[in-house]
Amino acid sequence: MSAHGGAILAAALTKRFGRSIALAGLDLSVEHGEIHGFLGPNGAGKSTTIRILLGLMRASGGDLRVLGSDPWRDAEAVHRAVSYVPGDVSLWPNLTGGEIIDLLTSLRGGADPALRRRLLEDFELDPRKKARTYSKGNRQKVGLVAALARPAELYVFDEPTSGLDPVMESVFRDHVRRIRGDGGTVLLSSHILSEVEHLCDRVTIIRRGVTVETGTLAAMRGVSRATFRVTGLPQSADPAVLPGVHIVEREGDRAEFEVEHGDTAAVLSALGHWAVTGITVTPPSLESLFLRHYGDPVVGGTS
Amino acid sequence: MSATARLVRFLLHRERWQLTAWIAGIALLVLASSGAVLSEFAAESARRGIVAVAAANPAFLFLRGTPDGISPGAVFFFQGFAFVAVLSALMSTFFVVRNTRANEDAGRAEVVGALPMRRETPLVACLVALVLADAVLGGAVALALVAVGLNAAGALLTGVATASVGLVFGVVAALAAQAMPSSRGANGLSAALVGAAYLLRAVGDALGRPNADLTVVEPAWPSWVSPIGWAQAVSPFGDASPAPLLLPLVLTVVLGAAAIALQRGRDLGASLIRERPGRAGATRIRRSALGLAFVQQRPTLVGWGIAAAVLGGIAGALAPTVADAIAGNRSLAELIGRLVPGARADVVDVFSAGILGICGVLAAAAGVQAVLRARSEEAEGRAELLLPTPLRRGTWLLGHVVVGAVSVLAVAVAAGTAAGLAFLLTGYGPARVPESIGAALAHVPAALVLVALTALLYAFVPRLAVPAGWLILVLALVAGQLGDLLRLPRWVRDLSPFAHSSALPLESLDVVAALLMSAIAVTGALCATLVFRRRDIPA
Repeated sequence: MSAHGGAILAAALTKRFGRSIALAGLDLSVEHGEIHGFLGPNGAGKSTTIRILLGLMRASGGDLRVLGSDPWRDAEAVHRAVSYVPGDVSLWPNLTGGEIIDLLTSLRGGADPALRRRLLEDFELDPRKKARTYSKGNRQKVGLVAALARPAELYVFDEPTSGLDPVMESVFRDHVRRIRGDGGTVLLSSHILSEVEHLCDRVTIIRRGVTVETGTLAAMRGVSRATFRVTGLPQSADPAVLPGVHIVEREGDRAEFEVEHGDTAAVLSALGHWAVTGITVTPPSLESLFLRHYGDPVVGGTS
Repeated sequence: MSATARLVRFLLHRERWQLTAWIAGIALLVLASSGAVLSEFAAESARRGIVAVAAANPAFLFLRGTPDGISPGAVFFFQGFAFVAVLSALMSTFFVVRNTRANEDAGRAEVVGALPMRRETPLVACLVALVLADAVLGGAVALALVAVGLNAAGALLTGVATASVGLVFGVVAALAAQAMPSSRGANGLSAALVGAAYLLRAVGDALGRPNADLTVVEPAWPSWVSPIGWAQAVSPFGDASPAPLLLPLVLTVVLGAAAIALQRGRDLGASLIRERPGRAGATRIRRSALGLAFVQQRPTLVGWGIAAAVLGGIAGALAPTVADAIAGNRSLAELIGRLVPGARADVVDVFSAGILGICGVLAAAAGVQAVLRARSEEAEGRAELLLPTPLRRGTWLLGHVVVGAVSVLAVAVAAGTAAGLAFLLTGYGPARVPESIGAALAHVPAALVLVALTALLYAFVPRLAVPAGWLILVLALVAGQLGDLLRLPRWVRDLSPFAHSSALPLESLDVVAALLMSAIAVTGALCATLVFRRRDIPA
């Protein structure tokens, strides 16, 4: 399927459940061939958005194109090109993992046998066990193997590594990079910041059903602040008077403060002038971006 | 407060609505059916007549129980107690499995098991709650009987007998929960044992010996190996004696102790019957949504099929007994002719038509359950794996409806074939085989209407579909099959699809009704898929 202007284009998406509002004008744009991080606190509307993208739920308002089609009206066309792993994979307890993988891939046209074998090996999954005996991590692996064993144009993962150990997380990351190498597009909803930081080209952060920030991590870092930790500060020196410095915590000759991106050089030269004995600079982490949006005193989500 | 007492309280709180619904439902059934007996058979002559007909008719004895006198209470007890006992048993088994193996399946047992208490404490608490629940059930049944004006001693004994059946099967379920690897398996095994107990007493009662004036029937030995038979032997409104209740009491204590001993030595999640490794890949049939729906339904379908085949087989197997009972007793034949005017039909036909009618309800139940599986697939999140594939939504739901329709057909054919073969074995002509299958199939259109109704419920009100689907089946059963016993008005009975089924060979096949019901079923199923395409998933 060919599409113009991005794999996913959602503008002002809304969704109401009775009186409660799950999405209140959400924007999301995912380019072809990118790995796009989809972040938000619990109840922000991530899973609802994904269900709308997949045509399982119908948006109450807004514009939506997935691979060039309306997923509600043309669900089948979208489903032919999409591979999906839900956040909490629940399986048929009396089928084996291998049977479930074959079922799900067959509905999408059949697994690539070599890829299926390789995925079972990489994820160390025993396909002969009944699903009811799998742990949460193993259920997640069944979902991942089923989604990855047949190549798709767009992959949608809803918190895909919950329940996986760090080794399996890295196996998952390798496969996501392989997908991108093959030209696939990935929408990755996640809570694990390191995962997003390692994998994603661009990120969309949502909160209470609205997009609060979107862009490349580099650009987001650009508008964010680095953290400075300084020792050996003379008694007379006060970093708070410097341009672009915020939230100074001072304890004797030690201080910790945040510096705006454009003012780093000026702050550094001032610190040199004061002849401090030690400087540690931490670049703005995704976590600090995250906390900046989540940390507002407004509490609670909508769904 | 001890840990056990706390758990009991928590458990009863968690179960308060479910148990209330069960207990109130059973008490209402008792109230309605005993009230109906009292008003319908107010005159002693009427009671003597109905008891005499029943005593001489193994079909009656098979389905209902053995008469133990002609007092109003005795007539109610023999007509209604076996059903009440089955419901009490099912309430107790489902209750116990819900609070034992189902907790292990869902991981809740792990949370509770990590608390400072002994390993068997959760099971002990469940059994204590079982005793309380059955005691309340027994009390409610007794109160219902007192309320319609039956004597208090008999009412109390009936309540105790009802509770005794619940207790025995509650501890049977506790053992099944130890043995089976899943709550589904434990429920299936327990329900099968309840069915076996009902059938054992059915055979024992049908083979029972009536006394000279046809007011009392002494059941044969198979009734004495069934906990339901023991409870019937209490005979609260006849020659009343609580002595037979010693048997369920001892059995409850022994089985309960065994379950507790097993629980004490068992790993969390382990079972006597192990889960074996399966296939590493799926066979062709398991690679399609329809195949999946069928594979998921198959064990349940086999269960319904066996139940219907056993019931149908008994219809055929008991036919000679029925015929002999009438033929050997000229005065009885005359009595029946007088009591049931116009019903000059062959007694064997009456018997087989009645039992195959019940098989039709079983067929509908199998179909309804197959459709309701779609709801659990959605509610438990598995539909969310299937529906984002190119599989169409309508196709997916239609798959479950098709499996429902196939289930209806399979159960009906199983019942009819078993009945026909049993007729053949007991010396009737081969014509009985196609006749019996035809008689069973005559109920298929009505069953299909219920299957389609269930699909509509699922499409429109998914959250209510499971209770509403079963409720409609029960209402159809009550209105269509028990309507005359409960003296429901004609128009209420006509609401049930079963009221429009032809009872072959007593009636001729009403082709128009059959075609009309089939058309309604097809239309309903198609509407359901159209509506289903327009709603959110999960709902």
